[in-house]
Amino acid sequence: MSTPVVSTDHLSKWYGQVIGLNDVTVTVAPGVTGLLGPNGAGKSTFMKLMTGQLVPSKGSVSVFGEPIWENPGLYFRIGFCPEQDAFYEQMTGLEWVTSLVRLNGVESSEADRLARRALEYVDLTDAGGKKIGAYSKGMRQRIKMAQAIVHDPELIILDEPLAGMDPILRRKTIRLIKEWGREGKSIIVSSHILHEIESMTSTILLINQGRVLAEGNVHQLRDLIDEHPHTVSIKADRPRVLAREFLTHEDVLSLRFEDKAVVVQTARPDVFYSRLTELAASGELGTIHEVTSPDDNLQAVFEYLVKS
Amino acid sequence: MTPASAPRQPSLLFSTARIFDLSLGQMLWSRRSVFLGLLVGGPVVLAVAVRVVFALFTVGVNVNRARVPGDVVFGVMMWLLYVRFIVPVLGVFYGTAFIADEVDDRTITYLFTRPIPRRAVLFGKYLAYLVCSALLVLPSAMLVFFLIVPTGGGSIAQAFPGLLTDLGMLVIGLAAYGAVFAFVGARVRRPLLIGLLFALGWEPTVLIVPGYLKRLSIAYYLQALVVHDVPQDSGPLVILQAFRESPSLVVALMALAVIVVAALWLAGRVVERREYVLEQ
Amino acid sequence: MPIHDQSYRRYGGGRVPRGRAWTVIMSAGLRGCFRKRAFVALLLLSWLPFLVRTVQLYAAANFPQMALFAPTPETFRQFLDQQSTFVFFVTVFAGAGLVANDRRANALQIYLSKPMTRAEYVFGKFAVLAILLLMVTWLPAMMLLVVQMVFSGSTAFLGRNLYLVPAITLLSLIEAVMVSAAMLALSSLSRNGRFVGILYAGLIFFTDALSGVLRVVTRDTGLAWVSFSNDLAQLGDAIFRIPLRYAMPWPVALVMVLVLVAASAAVLERRVRGVEVVS
Repeated sequence: MSTPVVSTDHLSKWYGQVIGLNDVTVTVAPGVTGLLGPNGAGKSTFMKLMTGQLVPSKGSVSVFGEPIWENPGLYFRIGFCPEQDAFYEQMTGLEWVTSLVRLNGVESSEADRLARRALEYVDLTDAGGKKIGAYSKGMRQRIKMAQAIVHDPELIILDEPLAGMDPILRRKTIRLIKEWGREGKSIIVSSHILHEIESMTSTILLINQGRVLAEGNVHQLRDLIDEHPHTVSIKADRPRVLAREFLTHEDVLSLRFEDKAVVVQTARPDVFYSRLTELAASGELGTIHEVTSPDDNLQAVFEYLVKS
Repeated sequence: MTPASAPRQPSLLFSTARIFDLSLGQMLWSRRSVFLGLLVGGPVVLAVAVRVVFALFTVGVNVNRARVPGDVVFGVMMWLLYVRFIVPVLGVFYGTAFIADEVDDRTITYLFTRPIPRRAVLFGKYLAYLVCSALLVLPSAMLVFFLIVPTGGGSIAQAFPGLLTDLGMLVIGLAAYGAVFAFVGARVRRPLLIGLLFALGWEPTVLIVPGYLKRLSIAYYLQALVVHDVPQDSGPLVILQAFRESPSLVVALMALAVIVVAALWLAGRVVERREYVLEQ
Repeated sequence: MPIHDQSYRRYGGGRVPRGRAWTVIMSAGLRGCFRKRAFVALLLLSWLPFLVRTVQLYAAANFPQMALFAPTPETFRQFLDQQSTFVFFVTVFAGAGLVANDRRANALQIYLSKPMTRAEYVFGKFAVLAILLLMVTWLPAMMLLVVQMVFSGSTAFLGRNLYLVPAITLLSLIEAVMVSAAMLALSSLSRNGRFVGILYAGLIFFTDALSGVLRVVTRDTGLAWVSFSNDLAQLGDAIFRIPLRYAMPWPVALVMVLVLVAASAAVLERRVRGVEVVS
C-alpha cells in the first residue's frame, strides 16, 4: 500500500464550546480525494489542521508521515488554496505569485519564470500585469490556485476551489484538477456540491458535524450500505405488467410509477438485476428500454449518511 | 511541470529579507502611511507658522514675545512632539499590526503555508516598518530643524551635530517602540488599547514619578541619548527636568538594545507557537 | 382545513412607525459592547473614581476632622475632568469599529437597503457611543450629587448649587456629542478599527502636544484652542462658573467644538453610503 499523504489519529479540534472536528482517524491515499460535507461540517477545519494553521486540540495529523505543526519544511511539498477571498489587492497577479514563490527560496529570475508558468496554467497570462483588486471573482479564484501550484508541490489542498466560478470556468478547473491527478500529484479538494466532487474523483471522504461518515470509493460505499434498499428505475413499454411480476418476489420492497417507468426498491439488488436481465432478454413482458439506479451516486450516499 | 529538486529551507535571514521586500511596498504606499505622513507633517506646518510669526514680530512690531532661542524651541518640539508622541504612536500603530493586519485581512494563510520560519514574517515586517517610519519621521524632523533653529538667534551650524544625534535617537526610539509593540501585538488580544495606555499613559506618568518605576519605560532611556535645554519659565517642562534622572549614554544604549532584542525574540516565539483562527 | 399550509406567510402583525430604525442600530450596538467582558471591566473601572469620591463625601459628611474634603462645585468639575481618561478609552474601545467594522464586512449596503435612512443609521451608531460616554460622565456625576445628599442628610448643598444639575448635564452632553461625532467620522474613513483608534489618538494627543509647544513658544495659553481637549476643558470651566484655565475666550472654544462637530457631520455625509463610486 502506498504511503498515505495525510493521516490523522483521533484528531479533534474545538473552539471553546464548539466542536469543529470530532475524533477523526483517516488516511488519505495518493490521488485525488474529495472532501465532501455540508456547510459547517468541518471541512475547512480539517484542511487548516492538515496545512498546519491550527493545532489539534486532541490527537495528531501527519502529512507525508511527518507532523505538520511547526514544520515549515513540509510546505515545499504542499500547496494550499484557501477558501477566503483575501489578497494583497494593490499587487499585480504576477507580482503576488512571484513574491510568494520567492519565499520557497527561489531566486528572483527563476521565481518570475515559475510564476509566469503558473499563470499560464490557470489562464491568467494576459491578466498577470493587472492589479488583483481589479480581478473578477473567477480570476481571483484562479490566482489563488496559481500561488498554490507555482512551486510544483506533491500535495495540493484546495478548499472550495470552484466557489464563485461560472460553469465554463468550473469545467476547466475540474479538468485541470484531473490533469494534476494524472500527473501524479495528490489532491485533496473540498466542496459541498456533490456533482462537482463526483466529476473530479470517485474517492471521497464524507464529513458531517465534525465526524467522518465514510471514506473510500463512492460506488463501494454505496454497495456497503446494504441496509438501505437500492432504487432501480426501469423504463419499459408495459411498466404495469412488469410491476405485477416484480411484486411476486420477496426482495422487492416497494414500487411506484413515474413517467413510463416503474421505480422499484429492492433489498437484494444482485438478485433483482439478474432477474431483470432474464426478463429483458426474453422480452415476454414487453421491451425494456432503460435501467438506471438513481441512488448509485454520491447524492444518495450523502443523503443517506447525513440524514441517518 | 517538472518537479523541483529537493530544496533547502530558506534561512531566517533570506526569509526575513523576502518578507521585507513584500511588506515595504505595501506599507509605504498604503493609505495609512499617507495619513501618518500628514501626522508627521503637522510639526512641519507648525514650524512654518512659527517661522512666519517670528518674521512678522521682528519686523516693525516691538512685542517680541518669543525670546526663546530656536534650538531650544526645536528641542521642545523634538521632545514633546516626536519623542513623546509621534514615535510611540507610530510604534503602537505599526507594531501592533504586523501580524494582526494579516490576520484581519486573512492573508496570513499565504505566508504561514510557505517553508519559512513564522518569525521571519514578523522580523521582515518589523524591518519594513523601521524603514517606512524612518522615511516619514526623519525628513520631517530635519525640515523642522531648518525652519525653527534659525529663529530667536539660533545657529544651524552650531546645532547641526545635535540634529544628527536627535535623528539617531528617533531611529532608536522607533526601533524600541516597534519591537515592544510587536510583542504586545503578537501576545495580546487588544494590543491597541494596551499600546496607547503604555505609550500615552504609563510613559509620561512614570517619568515624573521619583523612584525606579521610570526604568520600566523606553522614554527614560531615550532621554539619555539627547539632552535639550528647556525654557526656564515653562512650568511643566521645568518640573519635568527637575524629576529627570538619566542613565549614562552607554547604559541607555545597552538597555535599548536589550529591549529591542528581547522584545523581538519574545514576539518571534509567540508567533511561532500561536495558532491564528481567521474570521470566516 | 385538515392539512395546514406550511409555506411562507406574510407578517401580519403591527409595525413600529417609520423613523425608529435607529433604535435597532443603537440597541444592537449596545448589546454588542456589553457582551464583551473586557468592555464591562473597563466600564466598571471607570466608576472607580466615583467610589473614591463617595468615600470622600462620606468622610466629609460624617467626620468633622475631614471637613477639608467637603464637596464644592469644583469637586464635580474635577470629577468630570478625571473621567476624561476613561472617556478616551471607552471611545477607542467601543467607537473605533462602529462604522469601520460595517465597512469591512460590506454591511453598509445591507443596512441602507432596508427601510432606513442614512441619518437613522448614523444616529443609531452615534447614540451607541453617546450613551456609553454618558454612562461614564453624566451618570456617575449625578450619582455623586445624590450620594452627597444621602450622606449629608440634607439638600442644602444642592439647594445652594442648583446650577450643578444643568452644568453637569450640559458639559456631559457637549463632551458626548463632540467625542461621538469625531469618532464616528473617523470610523467612517477606514475599514480597520485599529487604524481608526490611532487616528483618534492622533487627533487628541497631537493637538495636545501642538498646544504644549505653542504654549512654550509664545509663553501664553492664548493658542490653547488648537487642542480639542483644551476647548472642552475651557467650556467646562465656563459652564461651572469657575476661573478659566486658559487665556482664551470661551466662545472660541465653543466655536472649535462646533467646527469639529460640523466637520464630522460633513465627513459622515460623504462616507456613509451604500455604494462607493470610484472614478
